Amino acid sequence: MQAERKNLYLPYTAEISEIIEENSQIKTFVLAFVDQELQQEFSYEPGQFMMLSVPHCGEAPISISSSPAQPDSLHLSIRAAGKLTGAMHELTPGDTVGLRGPYGRPFPMADLVGHDLMFVAGGIGLAPLRSVISTCLAEARFANNRLTILYGSRTPSDIAFQADLDSWQNNPQVDCHLTVDLAEPGWDDEVGVVTSLLDRVTLDPARSKALICGPGLMIKAVIGELKSRNYHNKNIITTLERHMKCGVGLCRHCHMDQTLVCKDGPVFTWAELLKLKGTEFDP
Amino acid sequence: MTDKLILKKDHLTAFLRKLRKDYLLVAPLQNHHGDTLFDQLDDVDSSALDLCNQPQNSIKEFMFPQQETLFKYQITETNGYEFTPTTETTAPTIYFGVRSCDVSALLYMDVTFLQTATDPHYLARRQQSVLIGLNCNKPYANCFCNATKSGPFLEYGTDLQLTDLGDRFLVEVGRAKGEEIVRKWPHFFNPAEDEDKKLQYQVFLETRGGFSQLVHVNQAIKRLNENEVPDSVWATLSQRCQDCGGCTYICPTCTCFTITDQPLSTTEGLRVRSWDGCTFSGFTRMAGGHNPVKRGTGAIRQRFMHKLHYDVKSHGRPSCVGCGRCVNICFGGTDIIRFIEMAGQEV
Repeated sequence: MQAERKNLYLPYTAEISEIIEENSQIKTFVLAFVDQELQQEFSYEPGQFMMLSVPHCGEAPISISSSPAQPDSLHLSIRAAGKLTGAMHELTPGDTVGLRGPYGRPFPMADLVGHDLMFVAGGIGLAPLRSVISTCLAEARFANNRLTILYGSRTPSDIAFQADLDSWQNNPQVDCHLTVDLAEPGWDDEVGVVTSLLDRVTLDPARSKALICGPGLMIKAVIGELKSRNYHNKNIITTLERHMKCGVGLCRHCHMDQTLVCKDGPVFTWAELLKLKGTEFDP
Repeated sequence: MTDKLILKKDHLTAFLRKLRKDYLLVAPLQNHHGDTLFDQLDDVDSSALDLCNQPQNSIKEFMFPQQETLFKYQITETNGYEFTPTTETTAPTIYFGVRSCDVSALLYMDVTFLQTATDPHYLARRQQSVLIGLNCNKPYANCFCNATKSGPFLEYGTDLQLTDLGDRFLVEVGRAKGEEIVRKWPHFFNPAEDEDKKLQYQVFLETRGGFSQLVHVNQAIKRLNENEVPDSVWATLSQRCQDCGGCTYICPTCTCFTITDQPLSTTEGLRVRSWDGCTFSGFTRMAGGHNPVKRGTGAIRQRFMHKLHYDVKSHGRPSCVGCGRCVNICFGGTDIIRFIEMAGQEV
């Protein structure tokens, strides 16, 4: 789709077929391109993002939360955070939006084969990791990978992707733990930041890779903990969120030292981030 | 094809009149306020062509306008949401009297808009462009293209390249479009004599010795590369930057942009691209207000690092072309020459 595109800025019309309410602030939109040919040709990899147009609101980058292993599915999980995402939340099935993409460097899926994988997510940060997790669970090459998922939410009612979490908790290949910052009546699981779950994990850092997504502060805290547990810098992988206008390395809104998050990322290893200066990850 | 030709200055107006028949012309013109700006030259006889003063703008805005409509969008009752590209046709345009710094800047923009990705809007205008360059024979007060190696005499990038020899121009034929012009109007050109070529070299030597600024660009590049520029430099510059964006707008190589929707009614609107600047504090701000770039120092660091470090690493040369325009426009004294001076100082 990318190579044949005549105008890189041109969004294509996509229809919302279903909306899943993940919590009071996050909805997952199931989308399909109206153009059948385009829909058939469309492909993506876990970790990539789309530029989403909502009428009168411009465009914003949204990471893909579905897995390419599930054919014909394109999920965008969106938290109502600003004008565009707020307007998106007002839409209903049958409404249309504009989409172009996919963009960005995906997760290094081939490098994950044969490793135990630990996913650490906070809030909406589970969205891009969900794409990886679903892919790992669907593809035979990952059948021997142990998956550990640590998911932190603000409160029990802020837990998103509940259906996925339920199925992961019932899957023998997966070890899934939840925590909340603030408990509510009826919550009898962990209370505390997501790093407090790391003590429950018994993975061997030498043969594990950690994939992290969440707020910048959470990412920093998790990486600090993983370093003290002897995880190698190149085995710590994160994906970043930035303001973007083009998605292809021209507008430069997503600059991060010498990199552009849109095309050099959004997926980075900690080894790569350590080489940068003047970022939010500076010591 | 003779490599060097002579065009008499007395014939310049007639030559431009001929060119105007086939092309739009853009040239440095002095307006009635006395300002020299690149502008469209419609009437060759009544416009004040000014090849003496430095144009305040570069030709950036003709390839990458300050604001342009990318699409018209429509929302229909049947749930349609369609984008129609704006099909502005670009006429063949000659950019006349473009100095070496601005030609270098254009070649850099080509890298950005045609190599990083193919920007169809830029491509359409660039393909229709013909460049008639002008070697500089008088560096202006803040010029330092000698230090950025982007002038004053550029030997590539133009279709025709002129050197002012007093009562005549020495003309060098560059790319095919220049050759086409010379072929079409041969009676304007005579072969250059040895004397003309010697005089051109003399002008070159005089120009090279005429720079009043000694700007140590290479030293700044080296110190950035060796990570020897202290954070205090960014802090000092940031304190004095007034967040006006003037340097990024006037800069011939600054191409950051934003894209916004401008509703025309409830059912239609325009998607518009406009110049933006990495020095603006809101440039990297995300929905919800979080800004991953350090308050204060991060923005200005990005601007100078991009020009003097990142581009050197990725393209082998800085993307500052030494035109000095940002020096003229900055009232906070945080221009690139100031930065280069501060970066060069031993801590």
